[in-house]
Amino acid sequence: MKKQLSIATVLLFTLAACEKEIDLNLENKSGQLIIEGNISDQVEPHLVRITRSVSFTQANQYPAVSNALVTLSDNAGLVDTLKYLSDGNYRTNKLKAGVSGRTYTLQVFVEGKTYTAQSELPERVPLTGLRLVPMTFLGNTSYDVLPEYIDPPTLGNFYAFIVKASSQKGMVFETETDNFGNGVANQRDVEIPSDEDNPVKAGDIVNVEMRSIDKNIYTYFTAVDQLIGDGPNGGISPANPPSNINGGALGYFSAHTSQVRSITIK
Amino acid sequence: MIKLVSCALVLFLFIPMLILGQNKHSLSGTVKDKQNGELLIGVSFRVEGNPRLGTISNEYGFYSLSLPEGNQIVYVSYVGYEVQKIKLNITNNLKLDIFLESSADNGATLSEVVVTSRKKDENLSTSQMGTEVLNIKTIEKLPVLFGEKDILKTIQLLPGIKSTGEGNSGFSVRGGAVDQNLILLDEAPVYNASHLLGFFSTFNSDALKDASIIKGNAPAQYGGRLSSVLDVKMKDGNNQNFAVNGGIGLISSRLSVEGPIQKDKSSFIISGRRTYADLFLGLTEQFQGSELFFYDLNMKANYQINKNNRIYLSGYFGRDILGLNNSFGTNWGNASGTLRWNSIISNKLFSNTSLIYSNYNYDISFQNEVVNVGLKSKIQDWNLKKDFSWYASDNHFIRFGVNTIHHTIAPANITGSLSSSFPRKSRTSLEKAIYINDDHKVTEKLTLSYGLRISAFTILGGDTYRIYEKGELKDSVQLTKGAWGKTYFNLEPRLSSNYRINQVSSFKVAYSRNTQNLHLLSNSNSGNPTDQWIGSSYTVKPEISDQISIGYSRNFDDNNYEINVEGYYKNMQNQIDYRNGADISFNVGEDIEADLLFGRGRAYGLEFIAKKKEGKLTGWVSYTLSKTERKIDGINNNQWYNSRLDRTHDLSVVATYLLSPKWTLSGLFVYSTGNAVTFPTGKYELNGQTIFHYDSRNADRMPAYNRLDLSATYEAKKRKKFQGSWTFGVYNAYGRQNAYIIDFQDNPKNEGTTRALQTSLFRWIPNITYNFKF
Repeated sequence: MKKQLSIATVLLFTLAACEKEIDLNLENKSGQLIIEGNISDQVEPHLVRITRSVSFTQANQYPAVSNALVTLSDNAGLVDTLKYLSDGNYRTNKLKAGVSGRTYTLQVFVEGKTYTAQSELPERVPLTGLRLVPMTFLGNTSYDVLPEYIDPPTLGNFYAFIVKASSQKGMVFETETDNFGNGVANQRDVEIPSDEDNPVKAGDIVNVEMRSIDKNIYTYFTAVDQLIGDGPNGGISPANPPSNINGGALGYFSAHTSQVRSITIK
Repeated sequence: MIKLVSCALVLFLFIPMLILGQNKHSLSGTVKDKQNGELLIGVSFRVEGNPRLGTISNEYGFYSLSLPEGNQIVYVSYVGYEVQKIKLNITNNLKLDIFLESSADNGATLSEVVVTSRKKDENLSTSQMGTEVLNIKTIEKLPVLFGEKDILKTIQLLPGIKSTGEGNSGFSVRGGAVDQNLILLDEAPVYNASHLLGFFSTFNSDALKDASIIKGNAPAQYGGRLSSVLDVKMKDGNNQNFAVNGGIGLISSRLSVEGPIQKDKSSFIISGRRTYADLFLGLTEQFQGSELFFYDLNMKANYQINKNNRIYLSGYFGRDILGLNNSFGTNWGNASGTLRWNSIISNKLFSNTSLIYSNYNYDISFQNEVVNVGLKSKIQDWNLKKDFSWYASDNHFIRFGVNTIHHTIAPANITGSLSSSFPRKSRTSLEKAIYINDDHKVTEKLTLSYGLRISAFTILGGDTYRIYEKGELKDSVQLTKGAWGKTYFNLEPRLSSNYRINQVSSFKVAYSRNTQNLHLLSNSNSGNPTDQWIGSSYTVKPEISDQISIGYSRNFDDNNYEINVEGYYKNMQNQIDYRNGADISFNVGEDIEADLLFGRGRAYGLEFIAKKKEGKLTGWVSYTLSKTERKIDGINNNQWYNSRLDRTHDLSVVATYLLSPKWTLSGLFVYSTGNAVTFPTGKYELNGQTIFHYDSRNADRMPAYNRLDLSATYEAKKRKKFQGSWTFGVYNAYGRQNAYIIDFQDNPKNEGTTRALQTSLFRWIPNITYNFKF
């Protein structure tokens, strides 16, 4: 619905707006430590990526941190020291698949400092199917995708959806909470990434990953979402999202369920 | 409550002592426009040979003057009207209704006056500080966006009043937030004074008589907001003849009808405005099933019961409707009604009783194959006011009264096929105030205006209130319906003084405390129709501001030129912000108060305005140098940071030139420092997406803003009673690309890099409007 409101704004802007690239003299506070940790309930390599931030004007190449000591533990006696692969990625050794209900602790020791984070892997909510929902806007019909699942009756389920389409480079990352529609079949669709110049077309395969995430991660990604596409003077005063990592690093550590389904656009 | 009453009683006990030992008679009555019977506000009365005597008519056109026995000559003057000289032999109390003749009807034209005080040298004689009065007739010829004349945009050209964004009707006064302005339309508060995402205001200038803005040092009869009072009065309607006027513009058309109900005694006015872009859009296939328009309807009638009693009924109704292809609809607007009873109790005492209803609500709906949801919210007031104007003696003018407002706030509630896990209940509260203010001419040179407002805000039952400290739930209070919860009492002293140094200059000092118990949670500059109002609660404390100002005024060339300089310092307590990542716009969490953060604010600045008030060329130059900061627990490491509308320099130049009796040219130029914003200081990658890194809040600046607007008005000759005029204009005449938004994003043209993309809104926007009256 928020998106619909901004469509109204867009409509107005197109009547009179014009865009141009500008040069700004931005302050450079690069070199911040970034930790991105993901543990899923699937048997797959679980990665923790450690990099550093760069200045705005540099290319999107992020220096990898390869000399960290990364350990993962849970409240059932697991202790796993991760192995460095490349490009800042560390892989679990012992952990094959995360288990719902367990709390995982990530510890990163790098250059004399320790960073810790905890995340509880939520219960799995089955993704039973996908459905395309037509959206008509000013004569054009496009599609959103509806992930079909039934929210459990207990309150406090949080979800993240990652949507990709075969013809598209970008992706859509959206979060949902059962603060609306608790305990019922999902009714909220998710956008499909679509470039203005090269829109999604018939035959495209749409991939949706559904994750059940914990509350901290939900808050984190909601804050990330507010940062994207709503620049200064327009939306909120931007600030770094509230991270669940202690010790002053940016990023997050998430233990979540993961299910992937796909659908073809007709 | 007892404390409150006894405080007031003590105050009242002192007053009679001030006015003992008078041996004079009073002259009183009302002042009206001779042509249409419209009551005139702020008309000045001067007594020959006695500069200490004199008065000004109040907002209902009533005046009262104490005169010594014998022959007296009284001059009655008002800007745009002929001065009237009245010779009187005073032997006892006298009632006299005065009719002033507009100078425009005598051949001279009002367009020579742009914005001015009501009396030529009022800036020197009034103790009121930080006040500007706008004569609606006189702003007509200024250039405006889309040709929609708009008082909210004109006041932004005055010192200390800043626009919140390009073409926006939202404004900030002396570093205050948009919700800290008390906007009154015939005494009814307007909660959202904008249409169409803020580009238009709810004020249709055809229906308005007069507007004044007071920047923080308001007398005690006003209260409830920290930064300013914008008091807008609707026209009463012509009680002599029927009259029609209207206009056809690119965006909207307007029509007003006014006339007498009983000649000389009572009248009515109905004024409407509607945009019609959608009527054309509806013809295209793309827009089928879509709607996009707003309208306003102003109505007012007055009825004279007898010589001393008059009743007014005024109403406003306005809505914005936006619907897209039957799938998405929004509908929001204000409705207000004011029933007023003016009573002349004696030749020195005037009373006004008002019952005011005000409602702002929005209704959003969305539907597709899967879901249909609605979102509704409202804020509704019932307001009862009793106000007395007491012309106690020739050097004391006393205003006192009481005010009670019952607020009902229904926060956004979702309906339809999805339901909220945390349904919101309506919350009610009672805001009460008692006040007294004395305008005291101490000596010929020194005038004081001092007063006290005692305000009380009571939380009423019907909901459970949670108490949060730094975002953590500490306790909760369950208030049953009908129960009275916590009451916040506040004493709000007000003082302003004016010392007239000599014939042409004066010096002023003022102090004022204001409190505010309704707060708007907004996460954008310009404001969204869905922004939520909340009342003070167990977690949210009343906002308090203390402002000191010092000013100097000097007039030149027989009051033709005027210079005013004012400096101010303002301290604000219990300011509200919200934590990072809080979704306040749709209020999805358990309790929005858990996401609020509190702190302080401070603002200081220097304001300068020079006006040329008469002649072929009129206008003003206004400049503001200012600083506004906030310090909120939990933001920016608890350090002071620039508030978003902190702009160091603000300059406006406004000029109107009377080229010939038919042609008037006008132009305005504005320049301001860019808003304080937060730019990224680096970037990183998460989930394959580029994320920007931020440090200090609002430590950066948008590029400086500047713009020139021009307009020309052609007035055709009056034929019988019909008069038409054409206005041509261009907004942003040199096409400057002012930054509206700067977006930081991956560069689609150069993969693997990022760019800053600036969006500009309006360049070279032309307008043409045809106005007529008969």
